[in-house]
Amino acid sequence: MGAATPPLMEYSVSPDPRRAVAKLPLSHGRKRRSVGIVGLVVEATGLRKRFGQVHALDGLDLSVSAGEVHGFLGTNGAGKSTTIRILLGLARASGGTVRVFGADPWDDAVSLHRRIAYVPGDVSLWPNLSGGEAIDLLSRLRRGAPHDVAEYRRRRARLLDVFQLDPARKGRAYSKGNRQKVALVTAFATPADLYVLDEPTSGLDPLMEAVFAAEIYRVRDEGATVLLSSHILSEVEQLCDRVTIIRAGTTAETGTLSELRHLTRTEIAFSSDGMDASRLAQIAGAHDLEVRDGRVRLTTDSTDLAPTLESLAALRVQALTVAPASLEELFLRNYGERTVAAPPQLATRS
Amino acid sequence: MNTLAPLLWQRARRDRWTLTYWILGTGLLALFAATAVRSEYGDDAARAGILRLAVAHPSILLLRGLPQGAGLDAFVFFQIFTYLALLAALMSTLLAVRHSRAEEETGRAELIASTRAARDSAAVATLVHGVAANVALGVAVAGGFALGGLALRGSIVTGLAAAATGIVFLAIGLFVAQFVRTSRGANGVSAALVGLAFVLRGVGDALGTPTVDGLHMTSSWLSWLSPIGWGQHVAAFSGDTLLPLVPSLLLATAAGAGALLLGARRDVGSSLLKARASRPQARRSLSTGFALAWRLQWPSIVGWAVGAAAFGLFAGTLSGLIEQATAANPTVADTLRGLVSSDGSVDQALISAMFSIVGVLAAACAVQSVIRLRQEETSGLAEMVLATPVTRVRWLLDYVAVGALAIVIVISAAWIVATAGVLASGDDTAHIGDATVAAAAQLPAALTYLGVLALVFAALPTATVALGWAVLAVGAVLGIFGGIIGAPRWVRDVSPFSHIAALSGNSVAWNGGLWMVVIAAAAAGAAVAFMRRRDLRV
Ligand SMILES: Nc1ncnc2c1ncn2[C@@H]1O[C@H](COP(=O)(O)OP(=O)(O)O)[C@@H](O)[C@H]1O
Ligand SMILES: [Mg+2]
Repeated sequence: MGAATPPLMEYSVSPDPRRAVAKLPLSHGRKRRSVGIVGLVVEATGLRKRFGQVHALDGLDLSVSAGEVHGFLGTNGAGKSTTIRILLGLARASGGTVRVFGADPWDDAVSLHRRIAYVPGDVSLWPNLSGGEAIDLLSRLRRGAPHDVAEYRRRRARLLDVFQLDPARKGRAYSKGNRQKVALVTAFATPADLYVLDEPTSGLDPLMEAVFAAEIYRVRDEGATVLLSSHILSEVEQLCDRVTIIRAGTTAETGTLSELRHLTRTEIAFSSDGMDASRLAQIAGAHDLEVRDGRVRLTTDSTDLAPTLESLAALRVQALTVAPASLEELFLRNYGERTVAAPPQLATRS
Repeated sequence: MNTLAPLLWQRARRDRWTLTYWILGTGLLALFAATAVRSEYGDDAARAGILRLAVAHPSILLLRGLPQGAGLDAFVFFQIFTYLALLAALMSTLLAVRHSRAEEETGRAELIASTRAARDSAAVATLVHGVAANVALGVAVAGGFALGGLALRGSIVTGLAAAATGIVFLAIGLFVAQFVRTSRGANGVSAALVGLAFVLRGVGDALGTPTVDGLHMTSSWLSWLSPIGWGQHVAAFSGDTLLPLVPSLLLATAAGAGALLLGARRDVGSSLLKARASRPQARRSLSTGFALAWRLQWPSIVGWAVGAAAFGLFAGTLSGLIEQATAANPTVADTLRGLVSSDGSVDQALISAMFSIVGVLAAACAVQSVIRLRQEETSGLAEMVLATPVTRVRWLLDYVAVGALAIVIVISAAWIVATAGVLASGDDTAHIGDATVAAAAQLPAALTYLGVLALVFAALPTATVALGWAVLAVGAVLGIFGGIIGAPRWVRDVSPFSHIAALSGNSVAWNGGLWMVVIAAAAAGAAVAFMRRRDLRV
């Protein structure tokens, strides 16, 4: 699927990321690299990771195909960062199998790292190095000896510009969002075959999220694979071709967005002034309808919005809000449990 | 509810072990010094001999105190007070920075400042906590002396003097923390001020005027510039006066009030010295893991090297003086040799003693390099480096290499200054050879610390910081003070610093050094093996 995939649920007015792409200078040299690996870039089955008594991962399956942007969706503490650390060979799995580009990430970490760009979930910087120095150092460590300095400089300058990052500050002077930008500029300044991004937008404002989205589209068009973890459903819907939903260390669901559409709902609310049961009965496709605190609330299938919206227009409703369901609500509805702050499972002593 | 109580509780709880070690350790040093002097310098003549030598060649006073007569109690005070005060001072600056700048740096201070706690509550709590810690340290010192059989009154005066010195540096540490952006920087500046106080007192005492009997000395005005000098001037067991502690109280009050005032007028997390604008691009050389480790460590390496150079200067200039003195009085030579536990000539013994302190400084610098590894790991910075094509083993070895380089630099700094000192003072140039052997002899001991701590980091990462400093402190105390505190031979043998090659005449015993190099290499090898197998642990 190309850049034409419309974001499923983008009701708010936000800058169109694809327009941002159009403004960017053409990528130099490599237009669309041929995808070296046909098939799976990441393949994890039955992945387990224990921290003492805590089962952080409990039989996780994850497969990411070459050339796709794969969303890795889960609530806080679901095990996203742990999985990503295992994929990078920073942590060792306690059980299960894992392959990245067909190799074992623990044994072949170094050769894999030549092909991988990583943005950690919680970026910290060296207090006495400037952001620019950190970017240069990490980029040099990543690409090794022979490289095209001029090309790197161009990319770096462009990224600093679009992310509006001042590279001359020292590490301590950056806010969380700016530290994240340092890691993002580092990741995108050197081409990679696989981008592993752990909640990369959690500190970014909406404008910067759009710039980030543009970079994702750019590297995807160049043929790279992206694994993007997030706890925000709408972000994943906007950017990703396929999604894996992780819940308490196991895979809850995986598939393309259209396969997962049954999961997504849209929440609609409007003022209850002048509404009565007979008028509300005219709304097409309404589920979970309730009247509370002067508002009418209902949900609809995200795939079947048009009739509902038409009937709302006919009712001349006031103060209408339409929003995608949050991940928490999705879990609540589909799996019938609250996963927010769910305690990690404790190992049962056998 | 008062917010001071929970803040104090949090500090006490966080520091419960750290402060216990500092306070008990200082108290034990006082106790051992008292009992050891009793057994080793039991007779008046031996003590008078040492004092006369020191008075005649006052550079020795740099590392002891101000002679106040040959009485046993006063002699103990002369031997050990400077070090008790030094420990109190370092405990206090570390405590002050730990609860002020370090908290701001991590952002935890913001959490506290956003509660009902007043703007200065955290600083007030730190001051109260630090004063309480110093009172406890004073009690431990007084108790150590009293248990060691010294007069109660003088013991209490010593305890008060040590506590007062600590409290001054508590306030100074808090004051420094207002200016410096990072906790590492604030600790460095505070430690340098402690070092300055140590050196000012030493030089001031050395430039003092002796009495006719050669057993007492009045310091020059320089000593009165140093909080450690003020403590020294209580002259426990001889003068027993608390008047010299008045300037301590005044300075502590001024620095503490200054810190509170400055702290209340600036943003949380900001510093009064602003960071300079820095390079937007990295130098070409900053392109390897080793270059990063060097970049992170060189400022502290320079600091340790400057300290070591000062001891090198003593080693290079003292020896000539000693030689003349001992030629006149052979019994002094015997006692002095006992002091540094060596069989060579007295000047060789002194050079060895100076360089064993240099060895401790070099080992401390290397230990810091491994501790940096652990800090990189816990802060998440290691993750970013290790997600590039840098192996865990390579990453470990980069820091170990910087540690080894640091050892060489610190020892070389002392050796170069010692050699220059010998040449400048027109001494017997044979002392250059002695200094060279003494300097080389430190290498294996310092390398042993580096190798063993690297192994601890690889096998038991969470213990790295605590074990690193603890092992170094125990090794240094046994190696340097082993003689003074009368530790039995087998205990002293545990410390690598006891095995440094001994100078005796023209022959040098290198066996111990060879073994230590073997141990260091084996430990480093085991560290590599463990590092291959372990993942990152935060
Ligand atoms: N080093 C660790 N030690 C102990 N528990 C951990 C560690 N790292 C993660 N966990 C636990 O594993 C679970 C998953 O964490 P994580 O992968 O960070 O979640 P996510 O990134 O999805 O928010 C959490 O319950 C967390 O507390
Ligand atoms: Mg996470």
